[in-house]
Amino acid sequence: MSAPPQVFQLAQVPLSCHSFNASNDRLVVSLSSNDAVIYESQDGEWKPQETLAEHDKTITSIDWGRLTNRIVTCSQDRNAYVWTEVPDPTSPRRLVWKPTLVLLRINRAATYVRWSPKEDKFAVASGDRAIAICSFDSENDWWVSKLLKKPIRSTVLSVDWHPNNVLLAAGSADNKARVLSAYIKDVDKRPTPTVWGDKLPFNTVCGEYGNPTGGWVHSVGFSPSGDVLAFASHDSSITYDIHVRTSSLPFVTLTWTSEEGLIAAGHDCQPTLFKGSAHNGWKIIASLDDASASGSVGRSSVGRLNNEAFNRFKNADSRGATAQSGGDLFTVHQNTITSVRPYTVGADGSVSRVSTSGVDGRLVIWQVSGGVPAVAALTGRIGGMHLR
Amino acid sequence: MSTAFRKIDIDALDEDVLLETELYEPDPRDPHTVLDDAKQKTAQVRSSLSRNDIAGALNVILFEPPYGPNVDDAKSLTLNALLLILNSTKATDISGILRNLDIDQQDTLMKYLYKGMGSQGLADVNGSVLLSWHEKLTEIAGIGCIVRVMTDRRTV
Repeated sequence: MSAPPQVFQLAQVPLSCHSFNASNDRLVVSLSSNDAVIYESQDGEWKPQETLAEHDKTITSIDWGRLTNRIVTCSQDRNAYVWTEVPDPTSPRRLVWKPTLVLLRINRAATYVRWSPKEDKFAVASGDRAIAICSFDSENDWWVSKLLKKPIRSTVLSVDWHPNNVLLAAGSADNKARVLSAYIKDVDKRPTPTVWGDKLPFNTVCGEYGNPTGGWVHSVGFSPSGDVLAFASHDSSITYDIHVRTSSLPFVTLTWTSEEGLIAAGHDCQPTLFKGSAHNGWKIIASLDDASASGSVGRSSVGRLNNEAFNRFKNADSRGATAQSGGDLFTVHQNTITSVRPYTVGADGSVSRVSTSGVDGRLVIWQVSGGVPAVAALTGRIGGMHLR
Repeated sequence: MSTAFRKIDIDALDEDVLLETELYEPDPRDPHTVLDDAKQKTAQVRSSLSRNDIAGALNVILFEPPYGPNVDDAKSLTLNALLLILNSTKATDISGILRNLDIDQQDTLMKYLYKGMGSQGLADVNGSVLLSWHEKLTEIAGIGCIVRVMTDRRTV
């Protein structure tokens, strides 16, 4: 593996989500609280800079628009805010973040939010069996929403925009991933036909996908071209046009790195690279978490059972020993990864670095390109890929 | 704080409630066919076992297992036939047999191992046999296999 991952311990509490700005020198995270915190990069470290306090329940998702430098947050309080950076009225040289209310019209928690590619709309998923598609109403200076309701039967856990700014993929707790049209008349031009269809009025259902072993759909993602949809569900599988079941714990988040590759992460505490295509099928290539990097601790194929805590009890049982080691996992992340996002995106849309945030309070930046070496050495590890 | 509200059946107040049966594809076969299938498979399993063909017996019983409502007889027949196979396998042969199963068969077998563990009192249930199969299957198919037993609504 090329460069080692950069690890930042931002907090001692779970990071439920994170998002970088366009130049990657600022970062906004939710520390599982009502506030979002903006961090600034200073001498290779992340320093808290400003707190966005407006929500009165836990923030569930954040997205920092890279084109427009606007932050959108959504929360269990059923609200979303769009934050813009404006000059402070008292000292005009300082910039402050000002919230604008969004009229979501949902009566359950908002679970997930993402700007559309052009950043003139955003989608808010919710526990109300609906997705709010929000656009700006300049007359009233607020964001208005239109609800996608049919045929969603349960909480929507994630969404992802198609590059054409119109289609939206949604993963839901009713075990289905769907592709829907989020066409807004005043915002969008008529989209050109795609593999998903050519006539796309609002709420057109272009596809509905499940898989036989079921499970909540935690995460959805369009490939860079928008032609392929992948989703991760709670049965430890990733589904493209085919259903790839893995031996690990379930993935909860994924991001495409190219037309033939994606990275998924979740309860297994390590980002995993999948590669493939419609013709050749899909398979696990490697974990980005390089096993050989830190020490050589015996690894068992029964993955997570073989952590230090387990071994400590085992030693105490078999040898009466009281080992003095910590209960650390052998992965970089010490707990579930909550979010994986592209960090460095090339001109052709390929992703060379990704960032992850975890329940362990860590933010990690991983190298992807050059991350496909030594495949032969890795294949032996796949069965026991959970942990070192 | 009062917690009584947690006991309210909110689904009863919801006209568009999501039903358990909508979460999986129903078995296209009708219950009688399923029962006949199960009887036939049981007979095949017995004849395979008499020829000491464990792998063949497993292949038969793990193919299209009964699931869903109204097929309880077929389910218990299948479970019994499967337990018979598990009990008549030498411990040293287990890993080799498991390695030759495909991922669907592994997932299905794991379902039956858990069902067996949950059916105490059945004459054929032998906890230590089930646990040794479980250990070997987890080594080969991983934790993902166990996770799928929990998420799959097509319970056997």
